Amino acid sequence: MVPIEHVTALSAALFTIGVIGVLVRRNLIVILMSVELMLNAVNLAFVGFNRVWAGTTEQPLLDGHVFVLMVITVAAAEVAVGLGIVIALVRNRDSVNIEDVSILRW
Amino acid sequence: MNPSALQFHVLGPVAFVSIGSLAVLLGEVFLSRKVDPGDKEVAEARIGSLLAAISTVSLLLAIYAAGFAFFHGTSAAFNPGNPMLSLDPLSSFAMMLVGVGALLSVWLSITYLPALHINHGEYYALLLLATAGMFVMISSVNMIAVFMGLELMSIPIYALAGFNRGNLRSNESGLKYFIIGTFASAILLYGMALLYGATGHTDFAGIRAAFDPSSPLAVAGLVLVVVGFAFKISSVPFHQWTPDVYEGAPTSVTAFMSVTVKTSAFVILLRFLTLALPEVGDDLNAVFWVLAALSMVVGNFMAIIQTNVKRLLAYSSIAHAGYLLVGFVAGTEEARAAVLFYLMIYMFMNLGAFGVVVALAQGGRESDRIDDFAGLAQRRPGLAALMTLFMLALAGIPGTAGFMGKFYIFSAAVQAGYIWLAILGVLTSVVSVYYYLRVPVAMYMSDDTEEEPAEASSSELVVLGLCALAVIYFGLFPNHDPLFDALRLLDLAGTAIAQVP
Repeated sequence: MVPIEHVTALSAALFTIGVIGVLVRRNLIVILMSVELMLNAVNLAFVGFNRVWAGTTEQPLLDGHVFVLMVITVAAAEVAVGLGIVIALVRNRDSVNIEDVSILRW
Repeated sequence: MNPSALQFHVLGPVAFVSIGSLAVLLGEVFLSRKVDPGDKEVAEARIGSLLAAISTVSLLLAIYAAGFAFFHGTSAAFNPGNPMLSLDPLSSFAMMLVGVGALLSVWLSITYLPALHINHGEYYALLLLATAGMFVMISSVNMIAVFMGLELMSIPIYALAGFNRGNLRSNESGLKYFIIGTFASAILLYGMALLYGATGHTDFAGIRAAFDPSSPLAVAGLVLVVVGFAFKISSVPFHQWTPDVYEGAPTSVTAFMSVTVKTSAFVILLRFLTLALPEVGDDLNAVFWVLAALSMVVGNFMAIIQTNVKRLLAYSSIAHAGYLLVGFVAGTEEARAAVLFYLMIYMFMNLGAFGVVVALAQGGRESDRIDDFAGLAQRRPGLAALMTLFMLALAGIPGTAGFMGKFYIFSAAVQAGYIWLAILGVLTSVVSVYYYLRVPVAMYMSDDTEEEPAEASSSELVVLGLCALAVIYFGLFPNHDPLFDALRLLDLAGTAIAQVP
């Protein structure tokens, strides 16, 4: 069995990559992908932790798995709205670069 | 699980609002099929009012259901064996608050949307869906339900912020809110995952029982959860999105989200801190101390240099998040009741101030610069007087409800021994008087502009009148009520807080 430390480390690494992606990249689509990466790192953590808190064979505990299903569903809805917003922007601006989106400041 | 043990009345408010939202969506589809292209504008206005009426009915039903539960002292979970949603005095009280905020925003939108040429029916459906999400979030006692409610609230609001599709500022507002919002949700979610890993539970009671303050996993999870919530309540240093989003979004949406999102985020934070955490002591309090102090200082000082009223109100809302956090730092029962009281007062002051900006929009553009308010007192004396009242209330001038709200929070903080924080709060409120008064100064002491300002419609006047009445009435009688015995607000807030199980 893979020890839980490895799962946690992998999920933390993925999450960090996602955070850096959101903060550093300038392309909106890549930013969306980075957010998805963060959510998937969370899913990995939940599934990993659920192995620690699995309960007994007669009475399995599934909190982590249920949470993952919720996250997947919500992530799909989120991306749909996010892409919709990006499309509205591309129609008006013809660009997916976040630096072109800066009328509002200070 | 025993189906007969399910308490369906717990879902009442959520159900009314969600059904209302679906009815609005279907109604829009069926009604706009028959529109004759010749009189499109008139037909759209009619459909819009009808959809607003449906939303009003469903929100009133939800408020009634929540109020019924509150005044009967209901305290029930949907599934008592494995509680996810719980209808207790705190959640029903907060639902009434959010419901009233949503209702007033709906009324503000009826003539605002046509004035901006964005009168699409899905607006009301999105607004009701977001309200349903807030209800879920407010009443949740399990992290899964918190997350579902949070997203059901946030996703429609991303769309609402970018609702003025053809407008670049609205696009930008929606985009920024979306990126920051999903980023914050992911951080919050990672915190929840770590808390689950450390304790093995997703329900608040289980987390509380198993929480070990010496475990690094649990502490990291707690920190990430607090950061995630700090984004949602727009506390410094997680506030940068607020001014941009508030300025770019359509004003009725800004009004809606500035009051309801803040209320729900604060209430769930309160619930999380009281139910899911054992006494973790001074460390967490120190974090909130810093957040509160930074929010009050940065929010108030940044507001001074603003030239746009919506942006000014955005910084003021950051400052108000700071005042509310002072109540969290104090942490006593009186302080928490004062936080609820302040949220209620803040709703009326802020909706009123944004309502005046809404009323001034016409011909597809907003009048949201301070220059647009120049000389308004000569053209529209009523609107100018109302705006002055709301600005004075936000600044906390005695005689208005804003003063009483600040008074209760700061006196609770002093009683709990946080004297320096209270002093900082009072000093920054003094600073805030300067920038709030810039709007009345522009309205009363500058020459009037060439342009004829818009006339407030009757629905907008109803909202502004109600807010003004509340601001004056609760400023004079915050806790003793000469007219109706039931309206002793501070006691009601105290009841809501005291009975959190």
